[in-house]
Amino acid sequence: MFSQNGLSLDQAPPLSVVFRFFFTGSIFGMLAGVLILFYQADIFDAHSVAAVTLTHTLTLGVMLSFMFAALFQMLPVIAGVTLKNPIKKANALQYPFILGVLALLFAFNLSAPWLFGIASFLLGGSVLFISFTMLKNILTLTHHSASSKGMLTALISLVLVVILALYLTASLASFTEATYYTAIKEAHYSFGLFGWVALLIISISFQVIEMFYVTPPYPTLVTKYLPNTLLGLLLLSTVVSFFTPLIWVVTDVLLILLLCGYALVTLKRLTQKKRPLTDATVLFWRMGLGSLLLSMLFMGLTLSYDIESIKSLSYLFFTSFSLSIVFAMFYKIVPFLTWFHLNSQGYFTAPMMHEVIHPKTAKKHLYIHIATVAIFAVSIFISELTLLAGLLTMLSFGWMSYQIIHAYLLYIKTQKTGEKFDMNMGNG
Amino acid sequence: MIISHYMKDEHRACDTHFAAAEQAAANGDWAKAEEGFITFSNETLTHFKKEEEELFPAFEAQTGSSEGPTQVMRFEHEQVKSLIGKLAHALEAQDKDAYLSLCESMMILLQQHNMKEEQMLYAMCDRVLPSDVKEETLDKMKKVVL
Repeated sequence: MFSQNGLSLDQAPPLSVVFRFFFTGSIFGMLAGVLILFYQADIFDAHSVAAVTLTHTLTLGVMLSFMFAALFQMLPVIAGVTLKNPIKKANALQYPFILGVLALLFAFNLSAPWLFGIASFLLGGSVLFISFTMLKNILTLTHHSASSKGMLTALISLVLVVILALYLTASLASFTEATYYTAIKEAHYSFGLFGWVALLIISISFQVIEMFYVTPPYPTLVTKYLPNTLLGLLLLSTVVSFFTPLIWVVTDVLLILLLCGYALVTLKRLTQKKRPLTDATVLFWRMGLGSLLLSMLFMGLTLSYDIESIKSLSYLFFTSFSLSIVFAMFYKIVPFLTWFHLNSQGYFTAPMMHEVIHPKTAKKHLYIHIATVAIFAVSIFISELTLLAGLLTMLSFGWMSYQIIHAYLLYIKTQKTGEKFDMNMGNG
Repeated sequence: MIISHYMKDEHRACDTHFAAAEQAAANGDWAKAEEGFITFSNETLTHFKKEEEELFPAFEAQTGSSEGPTQVMRFEHEQVKSLIGKLAHALEAQDKDAYLSLCESMMILLQQHNMKEEQMLYAMCDRVLPSDVKEETLDKMKKVVL
């Protein structure tokens, strides 16, 4: 029965599976920087092609790639799910996914129905395939943790995001009449940001905050009810919105309360950590949670004031929330996996975590990231600074890409030249 | 839940000693780091001995399986022991960067291991072992010395 819970010796996924999605995400991040340079201040007009293109580069190309890296890594470790043939599955997902994102970005800019068709086929097929595979594996678990249940709700949201997106692309490609376009778009956006991104971060945090920083566990009330409440709220609001679109105002208020509550509980946990050292990853978490609070504050203000710049600030800080936490995870996962795999393969000369990525390197990225978010916030009001924000975005993701390449080259080099424990010699 | 409570408390105590040693090393106070590290390693190794000599055999006898979770836990104990050796070397050499780097690996490894034990193995022990066996195993574990 334990093997079903994934407690096998071979529990960590292959390095290439996790690294490829981090790498893909960071390349799309650099593309986002290029797009900002190209579109400049147009990105702050929520209804522009520029904003839609940039949003999908960030949410699909960057965040979804990072989330796949996190899921492939975290499912075995914290939910006890072992995916069979992970490399094959990663290949089947990665290539159609990249092509699908590119097709979608071009489709927005060229308004070409056939491109929407291709994007729907590639993205719908690949993302639904992996979501259903992961969902099936989680559902067969005999022993659930708060994290595995939370991941289940996040993946259900992802499936809904994709299905709603297929309706939207079909409308844009004029395959269907866009009767419910506005209602579906609202649901797509809400499930994407709150059902998928926020819920996945929340579920993973239930375990990694305690694991990485040795904090007291989250209150049971939060771990048991928060994911289901968020998903239930979104589902109910979507159904009701077909009759009363104003329901989203009530939903937004409840979302603000729930997510602020989560951010405060997590920030408190981080002050209770037993390991007194504060490295860059703790600061990334604090920045992420602080950004979530700011995002919710601005979202609250948009309910009373219909001002475009307040909306932009809410989106910006939500992006900062999700990216900061991805970076926090990245600087723990990549060095640990590189060391863990080489150490498990018996290499005496396996590089230590600090040799893979030094904490000072992570801290430099933190400063770049803070500068990026700050310049972005100012550029909402002083549009000339958008150019600098774009350059900083490229630098931030370029920094990350370099760390992945460096870690992977170190891994390959150790495998080729490292000294390995010889089983026969050990017996002699 | 007597097994879970007792063993979880031991995990938490080990974490506290580990964190004290890590902080002392970061401050360059090697005497204090050594003191914390020795307490951490002695308590961790005693805890492993309690599991490997008392708890795991009791679980294996009850379930008739010695190939499943307990085997995985024993393997992970070996990984932790090997890291304890490396940490001792770094401590002896007063190599702060190496010590703190190994601390990172140790904490992630150990916390993953502890979570599996706390969320699954101890919970299963409390569920499957008859109460008299549980009491007896607990008494025996309390008497184990390194």
